[in-house]
Amino acid sequence: MSVRPKVLIVDDEERFRTTLHKLLAIRKIDAAHVGSAKEAFSEIANNDYDVILLDVKMPEMDGIQALGRIKRENPQIEVIILTGHASVDAAVEIMKLGGYEYLLKPCAIDELVGKIESAWERKLIRGKKTLDANS
Amino acid sequence: MPKILPSDPSRIYILVVPLAILLLAVPLWIYSGLGPALAALVVAALCFFVISSLVRKVVKAQEQERLLDLQLIQSQKLAAIGELSAGIAHEINNPLAIIAQEVEWARHQLQAEKPEGKSFAELKDSLDEITRQVDRCSEVTHRILDFARKRDPLVQSTEINKLVEDMAKLVEKEVSHAGICVIRQYENDLPPALTDPPLLRQVVLNLLNNAADSVGQNGTISLETRIPDKGKIEIEISDTGCGIPKEDLNRIFDPFFTTKPPGKGTGLGLSLCHSIIIRLGGTITVQSEQGKGSAFTVRLPLDYNSHKSG
Amino acid sequence: MNPAKPKLLIIDDEPDFLETIVKRLLKRQIDATGVDSGKEALRVLQEQSFDVVILDVRMPGMDGIETLKEIKKRSPLTEVIMLTGHGSIKSGIKGMELGAFDYVIKPADFEELFEKVNQAAERKMLHEERVRKA
Repeated sequence: MSVRPKVLIVDDEERFRTTLHKLLAIRKIDAAHVGSAKEAFSEIANNDYDVILLDVKMPEMDGIQALGRIKRENPQIEVIILTGHASVDAAVEIMKLGGYEYLLKPCAIDELVGKIESAWERKLIRGKKTLDANS
Repeated sequence: MPKILPSDPSRIYILVVPLAILLLAVPLWIYSGLGPALAALVVAALCFFVISSLVRKVVKAQEQERLLDLQLIQSQKLAAIGELSAGIAHEINNPLAIIAQEVEWARHQLQAEKPEGKSFAELKDSLDEITRQVDRCSEVTHRILDFARKRDPLVQSTEINKLVEDMAKLVEKEVSHAGICVIRQYENDLPPALTDPPLLRQVVLNLLNNAADSVGQNGTISLETRIPDKGKIEIEISDTGCGIPKEDLNRIFDPFFTTKPPGKGTGLGLSLCHSIIIRLGGTITVQSEQGKGSAFTVRLPLDYNSHKSG
Repeated sequence: MNPAKPKLLIIDDEPDFLETIVKRLLKRQIDATGVDSGKEALRVLQEQSFDVVILDVRMPGMDGIETLKEIKKRSPLTEVIMLTGHGSIKSGIKGMELGAFDYVIKPADFEELFEKVNQAAERKMLHEERVRKA
């Protein structure tokens, strides 16, 4: 288990991804980034991630569908949805699928880092509970 | 006491049949005697009352339909504008997010250099201003997206008088300092309505807020509830404020239309009220005179489920 | 969720008010938890879920509107009743726009508040049903 969370950024806007990666790096968060859900699935299959930042509107497959698949195949990974807008119905949908939370774009970097850290914390707590249950 | 004669003079044709029968009374009297003549008179009178009452019913139904048609057109207009602006707002949020991040990164670069001098201070100040304006933009986009979102009513039994009074108390506390008095006239035996309480609360609160804003200082806000028709409830919120200019009246429910100075209100309040009321199966209308005041009337079905439009 | 026995969270920085209301609710066999700040509330919400939240609008630190936003994000079906000591129309409108169920002026009559809690709990149940059917 790493000392800092391992994050994957999934967003179709390249500049958004690359600058976010830099902003997270100066806060000692190691973040990889991809531009589509398809690339995200292959990244997740090959590497361990703690938290995924997933944009809700992407070409080919939207964030909500991707969320469903990620949680089905990797229930332990925490997913934060980034959205231009969310309604109560969208929030319910995200919760139902197991998303950690949603964040409204644009979002202050400090808030984002706070959510990443609490999502990671939840992952650790849940992971520990599973270990305790199995022992 | 209903009106005897219809108000529209062109409806004088209603008198044709009764008059014809009346005229028959004369020859009948001459040829058949008083009895049949009187009978003809009675028939003429009955004819008149029956026909005029039927005509009144038809006219009323036509007026109601016209009103519903107008509300439908307005709500379609709102939905179209709402969808368009939601699309724009969504598109704008992405570049805004990128701008916000670039500013953050630029700020970090400045701090890393630890520069001194007037230019750097100016640079930092500019970056702060950009952040402020990005926040301002994002407030607008979020408000637009909020306005455009679907609000499916969740139906619960609601005491309308209580709901209106609760909102009145909230407003009264704030406006009493400005010399505005709040008058209530609630219908005593208002049955419980089946509608969506928080959605209705939003409408009442918005209308009260507008009333308070238009009065400003020293005036009255009145709240009334009544039963206008079987199966319907009416809530009227009126004020003695500045009123709405005649030329603005048919735009008052349009999104982004506002008579307030820039920065004070996005003009979404009334259009939000309109779309909520339409969703609840009702109508909202306004009467206003510049300089005298305005009255907004919300009419709702007593039972949302029985009036749910397809 | 049992609409007759909703699980309540009360968030208020006034210790007297908080203690009194929690006590009265417990007497009515209502499962009620009291916290004195928005931050504490969010921490508790990480671990438990609640049916209805009663929330004071004016609190130091994380104010009522911020807390409401966060609650609605994490627990969108939880119904929130806002309490305000001074009655601000604008914050009422903002709160209702953000999804608050109702707005009550302090001092709040306990019976009235209790009635509103029940209405809010009923709404949560209706909402849950609708979500399940979707």
